[in-house]
Amino acid sequence: MERPLGNRRRQRRVGHFMVRCVALLGVLAAIMSGVPRATSAAEPSKAAPQNRFEHVHALTMDADGQTLWLGAHTGLFRSQDRGKTWTGVALPVTHAHLDVMAVAGDPRDAKVLYVGTHEAGVFRTRDGGLTWTVVNAGLKGPDVHGLAVDPREPLKLHAAVRGPGEGVYRTTDGGEKWVRVDDGPAGEVKVLASVNIPTGMGGIFLYGGTGEGLLRSPDCF
Amino acid sequence: MGGLPTSRTVNGFAVNPEDSRVMYAGMRDGLFQSRDAGQRWGPIGKGLKDLAAVAVNPRRPIEVYAVSMDGTVYRTADGGKTWEPQR
Repeated sequence: MERPLGNRRRQRRVGHFMVRCVALLGVLAAIMSGVPRATSAAEPSKAAPQNRFEHVHALTMDADGQTLWLGAHTGLFRSQDRGKTWTGVALPVTHAHLDVMAVAGDPRDAKVLYVGTHEAGVFRTRDGGLTWTVVNAGLKGPDVHGLAVDPREPLKLHAAVRGPGEGVYRTTDGGEKWVRVDDGPAGEVKVLASVNIPTGMGGIFLYGGTGEGLLRSPDCF
Repeated sequence: MGGLPTSRTVNGFAVNPEDSRVMYAGMRDGLFQSRDAGQRWGPIGKGLKDLAAVAVNPRRPIEVYAVSMDGTVYRTADGGKTWEPQR
């Protein structure tokens, strides 16, 4: 009487074991399907983006509300599906590594974007990222931590430079020539933005996200 | 700048282009919104933290994006009431 019962128990145990194995394989397959795989900078990725970016610095959306641009430790990326998938965008540099610190778009023209980098200054595209021009004339240092496009005059920008040549620079011709205009805010600049709020002195305010908090200054310095 | 965590790093900043008084600041502590050009701030986006950057859709400013330092992108389509990670 006991043996058949024992056999049934063994059979049930074997059955349960098989069910657990199948379930475990299912879980493993699900996990593996979500593991990010290495992709080249130009390949779109549906995998979790963490490994691609390493560290995110900047984000903006183009004037048409269609494309997100993201600056990261591993370069420049864009998404055209609201941030679900990202494609690496190559910039014309000889550096093996490019750390994109700032991205700022023209508020009237979705094809115009400015990119500030840690190593190589400012790049500009006027064709939605197909071709890029280095626009560094007048910048005294390559480490650009913030870029702000004036919402009223899109050819006017401010750039925050760290390290050599540190300070705030201004261009009024879309980056063709930069002039240093201020020492800049205290603390490391993380983000810079021109905000269309009149100062009462003929200009608008420049906001800076920094290591010391959020600061603002009239941009007519 | 009342309402923002004091003396803490502001990593991300974005403005509603249709109403420049409406601003967003992304910090390690989370996402903060001001409706009076930065005089007062309040937290929005419960659960968001370690933020690196923020962006507003200029064509539809109730659509806001926040991205964490490790690259997770969050989106709200209702001005910040609800947020969804983008996957």
